[in-house]
Amino acid sequence: MVHTAFIEGPIDAEARTRVHRRFESMSPPRVEQGDAGASVRFEGIVRRLEAGRELAALLYQIYEPMATREFDRLACDVAQRHSLVSLVAVHSRGRVDVGATSFILEVRAAHRAEAIVALGEFIDRMKQDVPIWKRPIWA
Amino acid sequence: MTVTVLIFGPLADAAQADRLSVRVPPHPTTDQVLCELREQHPTLGPIPPAARLAINHSFAKPDSVISPDDELALIALVGGG
Repeated sequence: MVHTAFIEGPIDAEARTRVHRRFESMSPPRVEQGDAGASVRFEGIVRRLEAGRELAALLYQIYEPMATREFDRLACDVAQRHSLVSLVAVHSRGRVDVGATSFILEVRAAHRAEAIVALGEFIDRMKQDVPIWKRPIWA
Repeated sequence: MTVTVLIFGPLADAAQADRLSVRVPPHPTTDQVLCELREQHPTLGPIPPAARLAINHSFAKPDSVISPDDELALIALVGGG
């Protein structure tokens, strides 16, 4: 089971709660049966420095509806390739200030190995295939 | 004919525009459009070899033929995550 979404602005506490609730509601039969032995989570945070210069924020631009289509396609493919129990990916669009979260990826699998590999593969492929761009807003 | 290619991110910044017009022969392929784009818009700077054209929101093959009503977008230098 996969879930992807783009949301406006930073992924704040309220958005994280919604993501977690969505995550917990996914594929309950498999989770209740104890199929997931590993859960890994990645959070992308806007850094203060970019190439030695101080940022105030990043401005994320996406090309819709292709971005949603490719984000979904990637999630389904990675989940299938690694036999994941579930995958949730949420990415910001618009302005995200330094220190705030712009990307969350949560993966559950039977074992640690495939969960960790799937997480890395998703991020690598997202950075090639999903039409998301970021522009620096300098301090 | 002339086609319009949407551009984003660093390339849009370099061009100071969100779309570029490209003169192409009739029934151009994706590869031809990319080639002409590089040739006719040198101010873009180097377009990475891995850059791809999307036709109507789907990645296109190099030999895909483009129709006049297609929406074209240059997908390059993406930076999610």
